[in-house]
Amino acid sequence: MAQDTFYDAIVVGTGITGGWAAKELTEKGLKTLVLDRGRDVKHGDYPTATKDLWELPYGGRATDEDLQRQAVTARSGHLTQASKHWFVDDTEHPYTEIQRFDWIRGYHVGGRSIMWGRHCYRWSDIDFGANAQDGIGVDWPVRYAEIAPWYDYVESFIGVSGRAEGLPQLPDGKFLPPMELNCVETHLQQTMADKFQRKLTIGRVAHLTAPLAHSPQRGTCQYRNLCIRGCPYGAYFSSNSSTLPAAEATGNMTLRPNSIVYELIYDDKQRRATGVRVIDTKTNEHLEFNAKVIFLCASTFASTHIMLNSVSPRFPNGFGNDSGELGCNIMDNHLHVGATAVEEGFQDRYYFGNRPNDAYVPRYRNLGGEKRDYVRGFGYQGNASRLGWPRLLLDSPFGAAVKTEAAKPGPWYVKLDGFGEILPNHANRVTLDQTRKDKWGLPLLAFDAQLRENELKMRKDMADDAAEMLEAAGFSDVRTFDREIGVGLGIHEMGTARMGKDPKTSVLNKWNQVHACPNVYVTDGSFMASSACQNPSLTYMAFTARAVDHAVAALKKMSVE
Amino acid sequence: MNRRELLQRVAWLMGGTVATPAVLAVLNGCSRTPGTGAPLVLDEAQRALIAEVAEIIIPRTDTPGAQDVGVPRFIAAMLQDAFSSEEQQSFISGLQDFEMAAQRAHGKLFLQLSQSQRVAFARKLHDDIVAEAKARLKLQRGWRKLEGQSAVPVGELRAVKKRLRAMLGSQAQRPARPFILTMKELTLLGYFTSEVGATQILQYLPVPGRQQGCIPLREAGNGKTWALETSYRF
Repeated sequence: MAQDTFYDAIVVGTGITGGWAAKELTEKGLKTLVLDRGRDVKHGDYPTATKDLWELPYGGRATDEDLQRQAVTARSGHLTQASKHWFVDDTEHPYTEIQRFDWIRGYHVGGRSIMWGRHCYRWSDIDFGANAQDGIGVDWPVRYAEIAPWYDYVESFIGVSGRAEGLPQLPDGKFLPPMELNCVETHLQQTMADKFQRKLTIGRVAHLTAPLAHSPQRGTCQYRNLCIRGCPYGAYFSSNSSTLPAAEATGNMTLRPNSIVYELIYDDKQRRATGVRVIDTKTNEHLEFNAKVIFLCASTFASTHIMLNSVSPRFPNGFGNDSGELGCNIMDNHLHVGATAVEEGFQDRYYFGNRPNDAYVPRYRNLGGEKRDYVRGFGYQGNASRLGWPRLLLDSPFGAAVKTEAAKPGPWYVKLDGFGEILPNHANRVTLDQTRKDKWGLPLLAFDAQLRENELKMRKDMADDAAEMLEAAGFSDVRTFDREIGVGLGIHEMGTARMGKDPKTSVLNKWNQVHACPNVYVTDGSFMASSACQNPSLTYMAFTARAVDHAVAALKKMSVE
Repeated sequence: MNRRELLQRVAWLMGGTVATPAVLAVLNGCSRTPGTGAPLVLDEAQRALIAEVAEIIIPRTDTPGAQDVGVPRFIAAMLQDAFSSEEQQSFISGLQDFEMAAQRAHGKLFLQLSQSQRVAFARKLHDDIVAEAKARLKLQRGWRKLEGQSAVPVGELRAVKKRLRAMLGSQAQRPARPFILTMKELTLLGYFTSEVGATQILQYLPVPGRQQGCIPLREAGNGKTWALETSYRF
């Protein structure tokens, strides 16, 4: 098949940010090549989406072979018969763990926008100003006022359900109607407000609780809570259901799956990137594609991998790496720490529909002048639900009583799971492991990152505060938990090509452009200069749309001159 | 109770979580050692015993029982494909222990016992385990309370725990759960993820279409527990 090799723009990756870059570039009239290393997935092409419970083999559980092939994914707890096809075979896509590192990946068109958690929270100036205030990392070169219109823009397009709360640390957005808390969550909300002056709100999630006129292919949420399988209704935002169809509709997109980008081509004379080098995984051919502007949206470590692997006389240490910060400052949200409890009351209350959402407790620590023995803060995602048949395993019902007891909804089980900020630290880094190659001959990534003193101190509060709030609500059997995790398990990886004001200490400028090569934009999580504790995808989307706007204006200016 | 059984009981009692070693290894970030690859072959007597115990755990009443919905076949598939080789071995040795215990108690193979003897025998094993589990839970709750009070002399308890751990070897060698409990887990999983279990015992609604957070139980469909996919690992 003959294929053009010159485009106005190239987008590497089709996940949350690649989809956005593709939509924005093509809608602004640029002929755009969109590359993904994995197989194509069209909206609706979700093989397990409508399977009934009894159609899943093994009661839905991963088999021994699944656990061996997808051992890293299994660490996340997301590996089931309904979801396993969205996650990589870790034996085929290895990486080096200098310290335990949890890199949970999906290699297909749409990327992790199919399996993501869908929570969408704005940052505030408390977050954008934190590095400057604490003297940690580099100052963000932007503030909230500059990003707010882009938050408006992406929220309006993707559809975010939520409730306005008027909190300075968690700005309100353009919300579709909120989902409902259940009785026990509402009780917890009241005691938290009364006794601690802390908020609990319904999660803000990219689900349509009302139709969106501009995306008629997307339906409203049916409350199946089987989102990880892919939504046949298009009710939650994914690249496949939303941005890629929009890009496709322009006629300006060429989507090329099965294409591993392994290098950026740099032209020393023009001082610009002229294109990308690609391995076609079907034919093993090495190909080149050229464009005026390149958007790296391959996911934080994949984009960093490409940059580290793009070595030239101008960039001997990796593309745009004059600062030496490329690959450094790995951040994530640290989690799996909090508390659980049981509530024996509310026996005559239940719920209808499987809410694909949690309750959310916005950050409250180190605000308003409070100073803990750590900086920054954390939020919680949590919920209450009535226990089902698994509670009977270690309980007396045996024989016919198993059926009668299982039919009765059990006591309420309540959980608050923390999501904490990780500070940028130069020593938390990823490098190329030149001693090990993947099956295409590319060096593997080697991860060396850990939770440090600030995060570990914070985790104590994350467990103790949760227990204290659950106790105060009058729940019984309150237990804290603090699971051993690797960095990466939050699946919010970021920071390895951070933006900043000074090219000596950062890789990107405030427009997500590589300081030393302005026609390359990096807009996945790698640009983040700090992590905050809010789920980051909404922020990635806002910066991506803003970066495309900037790139298109810059291209126009160039053609005028 | 022989020494091995005693050790298993104590280990299980002190074990904290009830995840199997392979699952623990995964959750702790270790790569799994691939199994030997030898297929698990159950003989006819073992298959019959498994089917009988499953039916005792969830018998046919006015609604279908474990055998009616194919739980024995489900368990065979789980053993074959979902269990690691060490989990398989542990299951088989648990099954043998179960037979030996029946021999000791009645001088007969389990399947040679009368129906009421079988039920009573399996129920006794189950009830003992549940009693231990509840005792353990109580111990843990007490432990958590003690830990919150610095003045309490917990040193002695810690020393006992340490001695037991040393006696039992490392966590990776910790024996698996008793046979009857694994059987209960597999039977419940197979039954409640079957069409009958999900739709006749529980209530199943593939496309709810709306969400209400807080309603009277009697207005939540037919008021039974919602059948859900569960990633719960015991």
